[in-house]
Amino acid sequence: MDVPSQIKSALQASSFPPPSQNLLSSLSPSIPLPSLLATAKSRILSSDLTSSPLINPSLPTLPAGIDSPAAKEVVLGRDTHVQVVDIENLSVSRWEQVEELEAIERGERTRGREVIQVTGEENENVGTQSQPATQAQPTQAGKNAIHRLTLQDRAGNKVYAIELRRIDKIGIGKTMMGEKILLKRGTVVARGTVLLTADKCVFLGGKIDAWQRTWVEGRLARLKAEVGQDRPTQ
Amino acid sequence: MKVLCVAEKPSISKAVATHLSGGSFQTHNTRSQYIKNYAFTFDFGQPWGQCDVTMTAVVGHLTQTLFADGYKNWESPPPVSLFGAPTITTVHDDKKAIAKNIADQARYARLLVIWTDCDLEGEYIGHEIVEAAKFGNRDITVKRATFSNIERAHVLNAARRLGNLDAKLVNAVAARIELDLRVGWAFTRFITNSLRPLGGPVESLMISYGSCQFPTLGFVVDRYFKVRNFTPEPFWSIKVMHKKDGKQANFSWARNRVFDRMSAVILYERCLDSNKAKVTKVQEKATRKFKPLPLTTVELQKAATRLLRMTGQQALNLAEGLYNKGFVSYPRTETDRFDKGMDLKKLVEKQTPDQRWGPHAQGLVQGGFRQPREGRHDDKAHPPIHPITYASPSVLSPDEARIYEYIVRRFLACCSEDAKGMATDIELQYGEEIFTAHGVVVLERNYLEVFIYDKWEDSAELPNLRVGEQFEPTEALLTEGKTSPPNYLTEADLLALMDANGIGTDATMAEHIQKIQDREYVQTTERSGQAANDDDDDDDPHDAPVARGTRGRGRARVARGGRGGRTSGQAAGGGRRGIKVFVPTRLGVALILGFDRMNFETSLGKPFLRKQMETKMKAICAGQTTKDVVLRESVAQYRQVFLQSQEKLNVLKAACREFVFAG
Repeated sequence: MDVPSQIKSALQASSFPPPSQNLLSSLSPSIPLPSLLATAKSRILSSDLTSSPLINPSLPTLPAGIDSPAAKEVVLGRDTHVQVVDIENLSVSRWEQVEELEAIERGERTRGREVIQVTGEENENVGTQSQPATQAQPTQAGKNAIHRLTLQDRAGNKVYAIELRRIDKIGIGKTMMGEKILLKRGTVVARGTVLLTADKCVFLGGKIDAWQRTWVEGRLARLKAEVGQDRPTQ
Repeated sequence: MKVLCVAEKPSISKAVATHLSGGSFQTHNTRSQYIKNYAFTFDFGQPWGQCDVTMTAVVGHLTQTLFADGYKNWESPPPVSLFGAPTITTVHDDKKAIAKNIADQARYARLLVIWTDCDLEGEYIGHEIVEAAKFGNRDITVKRATFSNIERAHVLNAARRLGNLDAKLVNAVAARIELDLRVGWAFTRFITNSLRPLGGPVESLMISYGSCQFPTLGFVVDRYFKVRNFTPEPFWSIKVMHKKDGKQANFSWARNRVFDRMSAVILYERCLDSNKAKVTKVQEKATRKFKPLPLTTVELQKAATRLLRMTGQQALNLAEGLYNKGFVSYPRTETDRFDKGMDLKKLVEKQTPDQRWGPHAQGLVQGGFRQPREGRHDDKAHPPIHPITYASPSVLSPDEARIYEYIVRRFLACCSEDAKGMATDIELQYGEEIFTAHGVVVLERNYLEVFIYDKWEDSAELPNLRVGEQFEPTEALLTEGKTSPPNYLTEADLLALMDANGIGTDATMAEHIQKIQDREYVQTTERSGQAANDDDDDDDPHDAPVARGTRGRGRARVARGGRGGRTSGQAAGGGRRGIKVFVPTRLGVALILGFDRMNFETSLGKPFLRKQMETKMKAICAGQTTKDVVLRESVAQYRQVFLQSQEKLNVLKAACREFVFAG
């Protein structure tokens, strides 16, 4: 088998979207196959599904009208790749999230009743990926938490997805914007919302740095705006 | 040989003299109206042997530390100079007669035995006594008695096993006194001078700063804004109820609640569509409600504010009175574990005469006794607060009697068995959703018999359901609720926050809380309804379903509570009316926001600076650093903050205009 075919089948075996000819021909055959494959994967994962020249244009999209609340239940007829464009924790009030973010911005964290000062340096040592203080990990979601993702397919169609069962890979600070997910054939969509279960979706990882940055920076403002909407008129 | 013994207060002096002398001593008046000298003989054992003893006392600190004469004026030299100004330590004017009495008595003595309380402050007072004695006798030998209550055998034992004063502890207190003096006065003068020109209500005020007061005020202001800024949000939940054989089971949703209507509706619809629910787990298991931990000062104060409607300060004063009369052990302690060697059973036995808890104590003596649980704190100086002897209500004031009752009941509870019960948990799968029902039957009340402050009741009996059983639930509802704001701080909340953040010592916290009220930075108001103990309550099986599951945060409260580890056995004070809560005054808000908005790395309204200082005090005590190093570092640190504050004075002034002068 030639190198492009090998890459193609290796990607398929890992549930990746099929590569475009463009991607395959850009890979230099003089490099060992494992490195080539790693390169191909990382390029696909950090690209935008809706416009990426690296992905085969035949990639399936979500069926039309999938986001309609009128349909009680629709089952996906084929494997469909999507990317994450938003995530919310629906188990915690937005206001509580606002307060937590504001405390982190002030350089404070709480441990029980204790207020702890978080300085930049400390955070680099303690934090998982040397994130700046404003990105410090928020409280981990509980085992019954429910998150809502906004997913986008190849054609740019957006659809909500909620955890029907808790999936540990999903979480604020864990799930990245632009992360790729394969929704397998048989995935249930109820009233326009994809129901996520561990057996029906494959998390491929990845992130689009610019999206992630914008998402993190805008999160506090978004949460505040959403809380404002709920504020009863006084 | 002549020996001089000096206690921290007259009541201890008299009690110790009584025990050492076997009750026969001569009493001599001194030039101080408060102080008597007691003369008797006592055998201290080797190497001192039979001695002629004079036992006397001081009344707290003998000395005060002040700035030298050139620094009395508030305007000049400028307040910043106080960080480096010379200080002098002199005997208080009204303590001169007491100091002289000690010097006079020391003249004839070869040995001085210090009988001050065994804590940091006591060690320092011991040092002051030594200094006073040396005026009369430079060569006097100094020893220290180590004791934590004034029960006879304990005191005799202490007298025969004398140790030494610990200079490290003395130095730690000296460092704190000097730092508090410099920092407190520098900022007090600066703030007062700077705000006076604004006129109006602040024109004639003294606006004091204290490194504990401000963070304490900071907590009150912080919570105040959490309450004020709070925005309620709607949430949805699913409740399932099933009736069988005339019994009813209420199931709560494992997800508790969802802050999105559409998502809740989708999940609810899928439950209904599945028609039948299936029992996936039925678990019956023994359960227990833990007896409380041995009593510390902070827990006593929290309980008193919550259950006895006293302030922390009152509770501590009353407990101190009980200690001085010999009824309870030393009430300033951080220790929540009893030493294994203590004969607790004997102490339990002393409580058998009481009509209220005597029978329970009797039961413990006759085989019901259990070793108390052990907490993680040990100050290595004092045992947990416990009763020493029995005090019948007739010898106590009504308030003393209430504190004494709490201490005794808590102690007896500690020496009892946990309460035992049987819990039933039923898990249900309905659609893809999981629901649980919980029931409990209390089988043995044990410690609850005597500890009337804790509640644990049977829940309604659950119907008999078997694993695999399927049924169509009697009722399945989509419910809607709304988050509610946190509560203003109670005194118990405030004490807990100060404790967790190292603000003040267990003995001084109540004073700081009093101080910010005296300064009119905060005021108290009555909160109606609400249970006072929500922060510490254990999982309550009877909680409404939507409020279950995620402790503390469950009610969308932002309280820094509920996750701070288990402080089991917190008394349930639920449902009483008129809990006292703290709200800041306009001035209090202005001061904290003024400093917060200066945007330093560490605002004076935050606990961090003070906590660092407390940590350094501990390091001095442990011999890891010295007084001089700590003073140099801390003075420099606060001076830096002072200079920054001067630069940004306008921010503080603006906050005052905004809050104090706004209509």
